[in-house]
Amino acid sequence: MGRLALAVGAVAAILYPIPLQLQGTTYYQTVGFLVLINAMLGLGWNVIGGWAGQFDFGPQVFFGVGAYTAALLFVRLGLDAWLGLLAAVAVAVVVCAGLTYPLTRLRGHYFAIATVAIWMIAQPIGATWEFIGGSQGLFIPVKPRASVAASALSLQFSGPTKALGYYYSALALFALTLALMALVERSKLGYYFRAIRDDQEAAEGIGIDSRLYKVLARSITAAVFAAAGVLYAFWALSVFPEQVLELNWSTLPIMATVVGGIGRLWGPVLGAVILIPIAQIMSTTLGTGPLAGRGIDLIVYGLIIVLIAAFRPTGLLSLPWGRWFRRRRPAAPAPAP
Amino acid sequence: MAPLLSVEAVTKRFGGLLANRDISLVIEPGEIVGLIGPNGAGKTTLFNCITGSMHPDEGRIAFDGADITHARPERICGLGVARTWQVVRAFGRMTALDNVICGALERTNRVAEARARAAALLDFTELGARKDVPAANLTLADKKRLEIARALATRPRLLLLDEAMSGLTPRETAAAVQLVRRIHEELGVTICVVEHVMEVVMPLSHRVVVLDYGVKIADGRPQDVVRDELVISAYLGARRAAR
Repeated sequence: MGRLALAVGAVAAILYPIPLQLQGTTYYQTVGFLVLINAMLGLGWNVIGGWAGQFDFGPQVFFGVGAYTAALLFVRLGLDAWLGLLAAVAVAVVVCAGLTYPLTRLRGHYFAIATVAIWMIAQPIGATWEFIGGSQGLFIPVKPRASVAASALSLQFSGPTKALGYYYSALALFALTLALMALVERSKLGYYFRAIRDDQEAAEGIGIDSRLYKVLARSITAAVFAAAGVLYAFWALSVFPEQVLELNWSTLPIMATVVGGIGRLWGPVLGAVILIPIAQIMSTTLGTGPLAGRGIDLIVYGLIIVLIAAFRPTGLLSLPWGRWFRRRRPAAPAPAP
Repeated sequence: MAPLLSVEAVTKRFGGLLANRDISLVIEPGEIVGLIGPNGAGKTTLFNCITGSMHPDEGRIAFDGADITHARPERICGLGVARTWQVVRAFGRMTALDNVICGALERTNRVAEARARAAALLDFTELGARKDVPAANLTLADKKRLEIARALATRPRLLLLDEAMSGLTPRETAAAVQLVRRIHEELGVTICVVEHVMEVVMPLSHRVVVLDYGVKIADGRPQDVVRDELVISAYLGARRAAR
């Protein structure tokens, strides 16, 4: 992506909620928050699913691990959210590495099924383990904060600026994730992940420990999911199994990644920016009124995804944007004779 | 001097099929060894055992004194053995340059250093002009060259080429033979080539090992091996050998 496009995107993302805030609405800030959180999750999933080419349908487990870890530390020990976020990322990486290492013997569909199986096992554990609140979950009390700075430092926003505060927190975490993923893509890790995706035997033949690098790839995915889980928990002010272990925490980011362009750094970002607002608009327009309750919004939403998958299976970023963009520019003036 | 590679009494079975039966051979540093034999003789199986993608049922394989009989492929590569594949296994969605960078990263963690080395190796293998082409879009001859460049990027002391010349036109074959000679002379890499085409292996190899039905039937200088009765019967049938 060009520097100009990056700058325009950054400015747009920073300025986007300000006019809305001045109008006194908060709905669209929340939509923005959901776009950013799903873009961030997509960036994380792109590491294991896009670059390393291993279909992981259970990363929401680490979303849950992150949310629970930070919530427990906050509720029981009073540890602030950002410190809780660091701890949550560490716990998720350790749990992921331990769970994923045996899985790396499996390939293709079997790996995918195993990731789903782990998620299915996580659900009853979440619902019955009293230490983490069982099916009731944990409630995160809002402590009154004296200033905006104190709110930002503790990731606790309330009142009319709540949506705005979480929007900018999500933007910061998203930007950090994007920068880190850009580094990963250009590092040895990025090359090795893609080598394993393209041909595991050949990769091992040139010295790549495929099992180690698959574990590393999924651990990066898990770290991003855990961080997003913490952010979500403090926004929702609660953590309970059906909420943080919901399937949508993997399907939406995966769809965003595939629609935008799997295996491309900006793919999940573009996908989330397109799909999440559409989903929100669909559910508020088609999901209410006389047609409510019939799932029309989901049908139309599904249709959009099917159309993109049918006509551009490699994702929207793979369209020849560069060529179209250049064609629209005026031709260079003929050189003077 | 101690042999670079020693294969001692290696046997590999697939169910009831004996793909390699009691095979022993050595490769000395600086040699070009041709490993030949009719289709199904067990050449690729032996390669797979040496490079760790399979493990022998019996016997022992050592590289530079280290036992690699049951080592993983990535460790064997780290010790200095690189290979190419009979059916090309380039990283199809990556560019030619990125393919070779992946190989070069075996010896460094710095991508910039790996990139410089990869570019030099693409020039060495005459693929420099195609460095930004996705590997899947290269011709067969170029894919085979790319695999050689990627293997060389891991800085091997022993390079195993599995039918690097089969399926190529006569001109491409000649160029590939030339490349193998240059790898031997300019980079000082010991080479073992698997081929079933005698015309390619004979002038290239210092020594030829012949397999037939999983058994080693000859091991010697090319000019001696072509006169060996067992070898002639393996290639042309028993009646001709009797003449």
